[in-house]
Amino acid sequence: MRRRLPKASDEGLAGCHTCGKVAAVSEGRCPRCGGKLHLRKPASVQRTVAFLLAAAALYVPANILPVMVMSEWGDVMESTILEGMVEFWKREAYPIAVVIFVASIMIPLIKIVALSWLCAAATGRVKPSPQVLGRIYWFTELLGRWSMVDIFVVSILVALVQFGTVMTVEPRPGALAFGGVVVLTMFAAMSFDPRLLWDQLDLEQATDTIPALPDNE
Amino acid sequence: MQRVVCHFCDTLHEAPAVPEGTAARCLRCGVVLYQNRPASLVRTTAFSLAALALMGIVHGFPFLIMRAGGMQTELSLYRAAHELVKEGSLVIGWGVGLCTIVAPLMMACGMLYVCTPLLFGRAAPGARVVARWISLTEPWNMIEVFLLGVLVSLLKLGQLADLEFGTGFWAFAALMVCMAAAVAGIDRNELWDRLEVAGE
Repeated sequence: MRRRLPKASDEGLAGCHTCGKVAAVSEGRCPRCGGKLHLRKPASVQRTVAFLLAAAALYVPANILPVMVMSEWGDVMESTILEGMVEFWKREAYPIAVVIFVASIMIPLIKIVALSWLCAAATGRVKPSPQVLGRIYWFTELLGRWSMVDIFVVSILVALVQFGTVMTVEPRPGALAFGGVVVLTMFAAMSFDPRLLWDQLDLEQATDTIPALPDNE
Repeated sequence: MQRVVCHFCDTLHEAPAVPEGTAARCLRCGVVLYQNRPASLVRTTAFSLAALALMGIVHGFPFLIMRAGGMQTELSLYRAAHELVKEGSLVIGWGVGLCTIVAPLMMACGMLYVCTPLLFGRAAPGARVVARWISLTEPWNMIEVFLLGVLVSLLKLGQLADLEFGTGFWAFAALMVCMAAAVAGIDRNELWDRLEVAGE
């Protein structure tokens, strides 16, 4: 078996989450910045799954409930995220319709599916390569924030469109659910520890080649 | 020799200094371990200062001005958050305010507070606490997303009413660039190494 590169956890060392300092995990707190030291993020998979379940539950009302209501001369029109997108599509504003579709509907869904898959890989239930999974993780962390755009659109319209009886926009509970999905998926991505993917790979390689050797961790 | 751990795959490396403008990557997974940014402290200080000045302009002038039915409304960052709170959406209102007003302000002030004394080889009192807060706040700073929101709203309202860009909008676009440059200016490891050397 090709010798693998040394891991910090083999020597009881941890890289600080906040400042990156390498310190013995037995010290408890980072000597440089005072942050708590962990070999791996505590209860990483459990926390990630919990946040994902909550996000998935909120994803339904976030898409069904209206996010805002516009009244124009007494005409009241409630609109959901999807309806907002369809309206742009009908007006032939295709690029903006695609942006909203990707940011508001695709990204949260992709994040929930991708992180669930990562959790399954980290616990050895599926076995794809960590390089690919690492890319996916990096991607979900990078893209998640852009889903907030629809919340900001609601806040901008509510602030701008205040013309008494002529035209007003008010927020609706869908916005809260939608904001919840975005924040919860962000927390889920933060709770996930990508190092678990590599641990799982090392574990599999070790058992593949020298099954009789006792675990030295 | 100093050592560094890959935060992605936990591989332990020795950490030699790398030439200016280059980065060290993990041997196993390839993510960037640390970088040597040219003139990092000066850049971060300068861009944070510019960002703070721009924030003054952003909050002093409206983003968009909308006219309909003989009336006029203005959009500002404060109003975007405050109107939601007034309409009863307390949580989203505060969330929006946090992501567009509080987080950018905290980051710009924090970076300025930590980096300016470091230019002279000193650490400001409490600099470590502030530096920790900067890294905690970073994911919640969403000014670039808000800018996209402004553009989407513009297209949404374009047919309904008269819209005009205000000074605040252009200042906000510049603010976005300055904040990104300030954050990208300095490497996390380098900043903390400097803080450690400077002592408190």
